Amino acid sequence: MHLTDEQLNEYLDNETAERAVIEAHLASCGECAARLFTLQALFADLGSLPEVNLSTDLAARFTPSRSLTPQLPRWLTLTATLQAAAALLLATLAAPFAAQMLEPYSSMYTMPSPADILTELQFNFFTWTRSFGSISLPEFPPNPFALPAEITPAILAVGMTSMLLAWAFSNWWLLHKKSNRLA
Amino acid sequence: MNTPTDRDLLLRARRGETEAYGELVTRYQTGVFNVCYRILHNRSDAEDLAQETFIRAYDRLYTFDLEREFSPWIRRVAANLCLNYLEAQKPVAELDEDRDEDKTQSPGEQVEVKERSEQIRTALASLPPHYRVVVELRHYQDLSYDEIANELEIPLSDVKSHLFRARKLLAEKLHAPD
Repeated sequence: MHLTDEQLNEYLDNETAERAVIEAHLASCGECAARLFTLQALFADLGSLPEVNLSTDLAARFTPSRSLTPQLPRWLTLTATLQAAAALLLATLAAPFAAQMLEPYSSMYTMPSPADILTELQFNFFTWTRSFGSISLPEFPPNPFALPAEITPAILAVGMTSMLLAWAFSNWWLLHKKSNRLA
Repeated sequence: MNTPTDRDLLLRARRGETEAYGELVTRYQTGVFNVCYRILHNRSDAEDLAQETFIRAYDRLYTFDLEREFSPWIRRVAANLCLNYLEAQKPVAELDEDRDEDKTQSPGEQVEVKERSEQIRTALASLPPHYRVVVELRHYQDLSYDEIANELEIPLSDVKSHLFRARKLLAEKLHAPD
């Protein structure tokens, strides 16, 4: 009685509990030992298949451009953080001395309050938009795509908002495309 | 500077750092490509499927158990993808001409190794898709019968029959008397 193919395969795959029985049989049966040898030669053939090199780098797809998102070296990040901390500490320590030095000049100049600054900015903005509103474009021959003859503050506001939104969206789109190569 | 472990890279990749995943791809792309190449026997298809493997794996990173090894997992994903691909492609793919060159051997040895490798690859390519994948998982990925059954979601008896028949066919092709 010879060993089955299943027994020989399971023996070589270390998937049998009958190792001792199989080995005892192999020791006394030349035919089964020859079949085992053929199977072992096949295992050796399969194991000898060399690895083949890739012709392209698959990782490139997953690596965003270095110029787009430069990674600062660790030492530089640490140095910048330490410099910022040192500057903050020095500014805190220097503040009382600066206040003392500026004391004689405080009566000569009064600092405007935040409300005054806001009022001034608002006044300047309206003056600026009014002056834009007075700009008249030269007369064009009438056509359906003619620009409005006068730029009103409303048109200016809508135009600027549209440009801001277009700028923000295009930047988001560009960065999103670059940072997520898998999308 | 210490080289980051696979686990570190996986954690960073899960946080959306594609560079970290790129580093993992660099580490394992040759292994994954060879899994695909052994099963598909076509360089172009193997590269496409290797790329597809890494993309699929990236999409499923959140399901990956960080306590396990990444390399065996990605190689099994590749084997499964190749099986699906072969099952969808009924005709046998074209075989490549240029492969198996080992620059460390003499020209004579290279020719000999190339010829033998070609015979083995051709024999593997002649097997039905399921047989090829079982041979890949057993011989090149060292999976047990149970693990293969689990991976391919087929009964243990099918794993054994596929593997034993595949070996019989391979032995007939490779060790047949001239």
